[in-house]
Amino acid sequence: MTDTLSSPSSPSGDPIVEIIDTADERASDTIEKRTLGLGFWLCIGWLVFICGLAALAPILPLKDPDENFLQFEEKESALTGRVTEAPVQPPYGPSAEHWFGTDLDARDMLSRTIYGARVSLVVGFAAIAFGMLVGGSLGMVAGFVGGWFDRVVSFCFLVLLSFPALILAILITSLASRSLFTIALTLGILSVSPVGRLARAATLVFAEREFVTAARTLGAKPSRIIRREILPNVMIPMSALALLGMAVSIVAEGALAFLGLSVEKGSTWGKLIRTAVNSTSDLESAPWMAFTPIGFLFLTVMALNFAGDRLRDYFDVKELSI
Amino acid sequence: MMILLLIAVSMLTFAAMSFLGDPLFNILGPVAGDTENPENLAKIEAAKEQYYLDKPLPERYARWAGDFVTGDFGVQFSTDGQPPVSGLLKERLPRTLQLMLMAQFLALAIAIPWGVVTASRANGVVDRASTFTSFMFVSLPNFALAVILFYIFALKLDWLPDTYHATDPFWGLTHRHRLVQLVLPAFTLALPGASVYQRLLRTDLITTLQEDFILMARAKGVPKWRVLFRHALRPSMFSVITIFGINAGALIGGALVVEIYFRIPGVGTAIVEAVLREDFPVVLALVMVIATAFVVLNFIVDVFYTFLDPRVRR
Repeated sequence: MTDTLSSPSSPSGDPIVEIIDTADERASDTIEKRTLGLGFWLCIGWLVFICGLAALAPILPLKDPDENFLQFEEKESALTGRVTEAPVQPPYGPSAEHWFGTDLDARDMLSRTIYGARVSLVVGFAAIAFGMLVGGSLGMVAGFVGGWFDRVVSFCFLVLLSFPALILAILITSLASRSLFTIALTLGILSVSPVGRLARAATLVFAEREFVTAARTLGAKPSRIIRREILPNVMIPMSALALLGMAVSIVAEGALAFLGLSVEKGSTWGKLIRTAVNSTSDLESAPWMAFTPIGFLFLTVMALNFAGDRLRDYFDVKELSI
Repeated sequence: MMILLLIAVSMLTFAAMSFLGDPLFNILGPVAGDTENPENLAKIEAAKEQYYLDKPLPERYARWAGDFVTGDFGVQFSTDGQPPVSGLLKERLPRTLQLMLMAQFLALAIAIPWGVVTASRANGVVDRASTFTSFMFVSLPNFALAVILFYIFALKLDWLPDTYHATDPFWGLTHRHRLVQLVLPAFTLALPGASVYQRLLRTDLITTLQEDFILMARAKGVPKWRVLFRHALRPSMFSVITIFGINAGALIGGALVVEIYFRIPGVGTAIVEAVLREDFPVVLALVMVIATAFVVLNFIVDVFYTFLDPRVRR
């Protein structure tokens, strides 16, 4: 959101007054631009927190996500007048015992959501890692080598991009097996072209620079130039894209799960949401079942988006878009 | 270039479907697995011949492509092949288009006043709050937004109907009319779109407002709101129109999660059903429709530029 920073603040709020005042306020804006800001660190904090929770879930004092915490109440039988203990029909609402309530099988929503984060985050991370590795290296080599190789690779990126992404994902996941590996790979393939296009564009810019010419004059091989001269520079805009791309992958996994096409075993955020909203009456009577995973998903995606956005502004990358 | 792109997309779909799926089961049912019985074997052979499944892949592709460009989208892979794919399209496409038009209309109706207000008071309280709000809508996945809106407006407040009936009449303002039934799904698609448009419009408007002709208009004594809407808005619509066109193309296929959640039998629903049924001709036709819409809309956007700004006309 460069716009927030580049536009001057005006005391009167009148756009015309702003125009006149622009020149005076530029200096303070440029200084402000070089900090990442509190919001960025809050987002990183949340991401570290949720990743830590997910990674350490088995050793943290969390409830077992698969255990049924049935609650009993004393019931007086109308017929005999005897008091018996009968289980209350789940789901239970949020309470001190279960902060975010329980699901239809009286399982703790909080720990289910945290265990769901494990799969969702791994899929998101693996997908963008694959995109970075394949798309990044293809884009860099294409941008550096040029010629027919560049044209072929660019065209492939364009084809992948103009293909409706979610449909491609559905196509692969419905026809191949639905393991954690295939889902991550599918979303990884989808992230190849945006990453690749950015890597190529950035490489084209840096390949013209003096330090590359200098390295070439000194007799460095192309592979060395790519690794030692171009890669470190391309990595900077890529890091912002990695955060944004991870958000996109997590959302895509959620959408796949929503269509019933995500990982077969284990729970993910998308699958939790899908189970909760499957029947309208469940959603009406037990909204916490849907809103707990939605809340976690939303906060994580927003944190990734915001952090990526700030990073992009920080390094002032123009050509970055997904 | 565009044609080449479409050919590549169709080849990719064709190859993916052919390598990964076996459509025989959908045509013949359990008979397809029974290769022992000579009677069933004959049926399999007949079906293979009927749908050209015994031909090599390039020939099948050429056959399909030849039919496709002449407007023959083929038959569905089912026992009787009815209805033909073009019939299915004719039934499903209008519903998706209605939803898309409504969503885009709502998005613009929200985004333009929102963008103008925030740009006119850039960095004010309203602007800061709206930056945060639009960021939230962009970060909220559409299935989550669908659930939230559905819960609030259909279940808790009961303002809007919670079901869509393809047989109900369209025009009308009660729960028994599809116009009203489409409001929730349209809003689900419109809110993230509106946020994106608003952010783009705001940025462009701020730039435009610093130009000389705005100062001129203000100096002549044109009221502030007239300057904003009449003088500044039109040249600031570039990015919005670009993204609007791209978004329209994306919505034809990308609305599928929303269509499925609200149970609207449109293109998105059709494509999910077809993929799950491994119904190649339907998937191919729908993917091509979506990809073509994408490409054509991008072209229209380019043409539209000249309308908005005569400077591009050269």
